[in-house]
Amino acid sequence: MAIEQKYTDLINADIDGEISAAEKAELREFLDENAEGRALHDELSSMCATLNAVESEDPPPHMRHVIMNSLQPTRKEKESPGFMQVLFATPALKYAVTFAAGVFLTLSIVNSSQLSNQAFDDVTDLVGTVSDPIEAKLASSVSVTELDLAGTVSLRSAGSMLILDFDLVAKDHIEVEADYSDRTIWFNGFAQLESGGTAISAETGRIRLGMEGKRRYAVYLHNEGGRETTVNLRFLADGKVVHEASLDYTPAR
Amino acid sequence: MSKTDDTKLIERCRSGDRQAFEALLVQYEKPVFNAAYRMLNSRDDARDVTQTVFLKAFENFDQFDPSRRFFSWIYRITLNESINWLGKTNRLEPLSFEAVDEGKGPEQELESARVSKEVQVALMTLKIDYRSVVILKHFLGCNYVEISQILEVPEKKVKSRLYTARQQLKDALTGNH
Repeated sequence: MAIEQKYTDLINADIDGEISAAEKAELREFLDENAEGRALHDELSSMCATLNAVESEDPPPHMRHVIMNSLQPTRKEKESPGFMQVLFATPALKYAVTFAAGVFLTLSIVNSSQLSNQAFDDVTDLVGTVSDPIEAKLASSVSVTELDLAGTVSLRSAGSMLILDFDLVAKDHIEVEADYSDRTIWFNGFAQLESGGTAISAETGRIRLGMEGKRRYAVYLHNEGGRETTVNLRFLADGKVVHEASLDYTPAR
Repeated sequence: MSKTDDTKLIERCRSGDRQAFEALLVQYEKPVFNAAYRMLNSRDDARDVTQTVFLKAFENFDQFDPSRRFFSWIYRITLNESINWLGKTNRLEPLSFEAVDEGKGPEQELESARVSKEVQVALMTLKIDYRSVVILKHFLGCNYVEISQILEVPEKKVKSRLYTARQQLKDALTGNH
């Protein structure tokens, strides 16, 4: 015999803890007299206990970072300062970078072979090479939203300078390759903020970076004449490509 | 988080305050992700939907009614986005038990993981309306009134959907499918 809806409602309300004292007394009286009702109550209670015991899934580790990086500026929000503005807004960093720039300039002059328009072949561990504070315009930007790698890479321009601005989080060690097919473009410096431990090497038409964890850094490229170009990015984990993207720079007419 | 805390954070979000938004994100990313995961049965899809949910929330704070609770607003967006996602991927219809169940895992599979998988398989056999009400009740801990507000249906309807959903889940979990 089917159970009256009134009592099935009370059974569910009891299981959900949404039953008044009077209703509870009424349900108890019904269940004392009705074996089918008791069986239903037991079955549903057991199943609900199973549902309630299911453990929550943890979200992917970098999801929050990706979401925060994907937010567009609102009307009421000032656009966040670019990497260079942040760098030079901090006095200690400003002096550190200026000092590093001085050291770099000295080393460059001493090693006269590097004074030509050739790429630097080995700049591993080089940190903080930069020229003047730059008002760089955003040319293009890409988001990376892999499970173990997330963040953004932006390409900014300022005159003959192109700046690759990396803001990434990687769960494990990754390699980043940036290829620029135009051989008149050459590596011109590297700086990192909020972190250390990024390894970089450069050759003609390509730079390679190794990183792990949260990193924010900028790579400077000299683009004589501000020519139109494309930078192709490849992200590798254990030698396998996990993400590819391209950044375009088109000079303003 | 209390309603007052949420309200203060939302006020700041409306002014474009990213830190306030991140505080809401920290608080709600897990339940939103879990709701999406239970609706979609895929972590990758749930991740994409969760990202969409929060980006939409950030862009539409002006449309949030401060007399309501934030969680009811964001959970509603989550369910709607999940349903849209299922529609885009032609998965709106409930699946048969056999179509979802991929067989038992290795014997050493943790009991909790086994139960979670069985429940998920059973959930996917429910129609969207029933799946939604079970997720709100059992995975997000909402009461009848809250579910009624999120789904914008009368409380009586919530109770009847929940009862039917439980009957169907019971059958699926006990093998009467």
